[in-house]
Amino acid sequence: MLDLEMENVAVRYPDLPQPALDLPRLLVPAGSSLAVTGPSGAGKSTFINVITGLERPSAGAVRWKGQDIARLSEAARDRWRARNVGLVMQEFHLFPGLDAMENVLLPARFRHPRLPAGFRDRAAHLLAQVGIGTGRRGVETFSRGEMQRVAIARALLARPGVIVADEPTASLDGESGAAVCALLTALAGTEGATLIVVTHDTALSGRLDRRIVLTGGRCTGDSAMEAA
Amino acid sequence: MIRFILADLQRLQAGAMIVVLLVAFATALGMAVRIEERALRLGSARAADRFDVVIGAPGSETQLVLSSIFLQPSPLALVSGDVLKQLSEDPRVDHAAPVGFGDSYHGYPIIGTTAEFIEKSGFRIEGEGRNFSALSEAVVGARVPMAVGDEFSPQHGLAGQAAEEHHEMSYRITGRMEPSATPWDRAILVPIEGVWHVHGLGLGPGEEGYHDGHDQHHEHDDHDHDEEHDHDDEHGEHHIEAGHLGPPWPSDMPGVPAILVKPRTIANAYQIRGDYRTETAMAVFPGEVLTRLYATLGDARLVLTAIAIGTQMLAGTAVILVTMAHLSQRRRQIGALRAFGAPRLAVFAVVWSELLIVIGLGVAAGIGLGYAGAKALAILFARQSGMALPVTLEMSDLAFAGMLLAVAALIAVVPAIYAYRQSPAAALRG
Repeated sequence: MLDLEMENVAVRYPDLPQPALDLPRLLVPAGSSLAVTGPSGAGKSTFINVITGLERPSAGAVRWKGQDIARLSEAARDRWRARNVGLVMQEFHLFPGLDAMENVLLPARFRHPRLPAGFRDRAAHLLAQVGIGTGRRGVETFSRGEMQRVAIARALLARPGVIVADEPTASLDGESGAAVCALLTALAGTEGATLIVVTHDTALSGRLDRRIVLTGGRCTGDSAMEAA
Repeated sequence: MIRFILADLQRLQAGAMIVVLLVAFATALGMAVRIEERALRLGSARAADRFDVVIGAPGSETQLVLSSIFLQPSPLALVSGDVLKQLSEDPRVDHAAPVGFGDSYHGYPIIGTTAEFIEKSGFRIEGEGRNFSALSEAVVGARVPMAVGDEFSPQHGLAGQAAEEHHEMSYRITGRMEPSATPWDRAILVPIEGVWHVHGLGLGPGEEGYHDGHDQHHEHDDHDHDEEHDHDDEHGEHHIEAGHLGPPWPSDMPGVPAILVKPRTIANAYQIRGDYRTETAMAVFPGEVLTRLYATLGDARLVLTAIAIGTQMLAGTAVILVTMAHLSQRRRQIGALRAFGAPRLAVFAVVWSELLIVIGLGVAAGIGLGYAGAKALAILFARQSGMALPVTLEMSDLAFAGMLLAVAALIAVVPAIYAYRQSPAAALRG
């Protein structure tokens, strides 16, 4: 379980006059859940990139349980992300030609020459939890809802301290979206992971502890502040 | 990771197939040039192996060897019959045989020579057959589609140019030679006296196969034999003893295009070569002439190799372009791998090994394709020339393929580095 502390984080691109992200301070307690909303171009993807170490901010600190990942090298951030972050993306990024089980195990296979003991059982358990009965079906045959459920199982495999989801229900129909919402929040709770979700889905954001709104890279709304 | 790579290749099989084909054709070209050139050297060396010294009239040494040993049809100047007589009586010579061309039968060259030549040059007659012993008898090579007992009349002109038949002369086949994997497998061997007779070089009436009135034919024939036949003697009036074939030769002999000489010793061979390099004769070692020819072949090989390398470079460039185009389509996939924590080196390894596997398959297919192509060419060549080209795959060929693969491994680094350096965030944006 990880807590996040962002301090004076700014992300600037050479071709943009304003920072793509400008967050003076943001705290997300360990085990809590946070919804990030905002219009297109508000800096939501940049926010995800920065908190997962995919991108280094131009300035500021991004501390997870006290460790500033903004100061880590790219290789170290890759390692940190593999150990601590479970990513769920809008487009699932499952790999055709591999079955559901192999897709769930894939990130671990890239990190471990020999799969650690128990990973296969955990993958089967997670797949069962997300409602995928057999992991041996090729993912090409799955519905979009099923694909996203496999992606959730993959995100949870390494028991990450934080689950980051980027528009996880955006490409799903209402029923599948609702199922994925329920799964994400329930499993994050079961696994004791901090959950950060970028979403336009009010049903999903309504299930989370806190909601912030990004506009032009800045935090323009925070349910925690409003409640206070 | 191997499963991922294989699944990836299966997913991208159309593109992979194109790369495999590109690489296969480029490899096959280089491989075929190597194999064929080596086969040509070996095959020609083997074909010339049984002939120690060739003597002809001064002129092109290469042409003399090509015509007399490889039986390539081309007009040769004649060397005096006295030279043949001298050589036959020379104690340093085991045997000396004339080689006379001029006629053919359905594309198969008719070679006038001696029965002794067939016996002593390592040609063997199959089964029940026998060597020729009369003017109207012939022995055929293994690839000539005629059987013992068949009769034929020679056609006027060299193989490939033959037109009308010499009806005044007919031959009966008495024997068939065992395959020698040389152009002599396509030859029809007849007594040299028969060739002289057909072209009106003094054989008296009464000889078997002789048809009265040949002198008249000689005078009124529409074709000018004096111009068209190498072996027609300008002076025309020679008299070969009827009923007698081969040496000892009479003193007034017609000229011959070439004489194949078997010296008794190596020293004798050098002496004979020295003695017969005169204003009227030219003696050559076929091996030496071939060595010079190989040097020319080597130049041709250089050109072909340059073309093959050019093709390989073009294929290499095409492969890089296809891969880079393909990589830009895979940007998001690579970004996702990185996002899930795959190390940069793993991404490098995936891209590099996928490309190497595809190129490796192409090189392997190219080896097979090049070998098959060389084999097919060799079969065609053997059908046309009678000379067998020993097509073999050797360690040096595999080393060549290994070198191509090593170059490919280096080339594959380019897209792999491109993938390695890609920022995952930028890649995920697409």
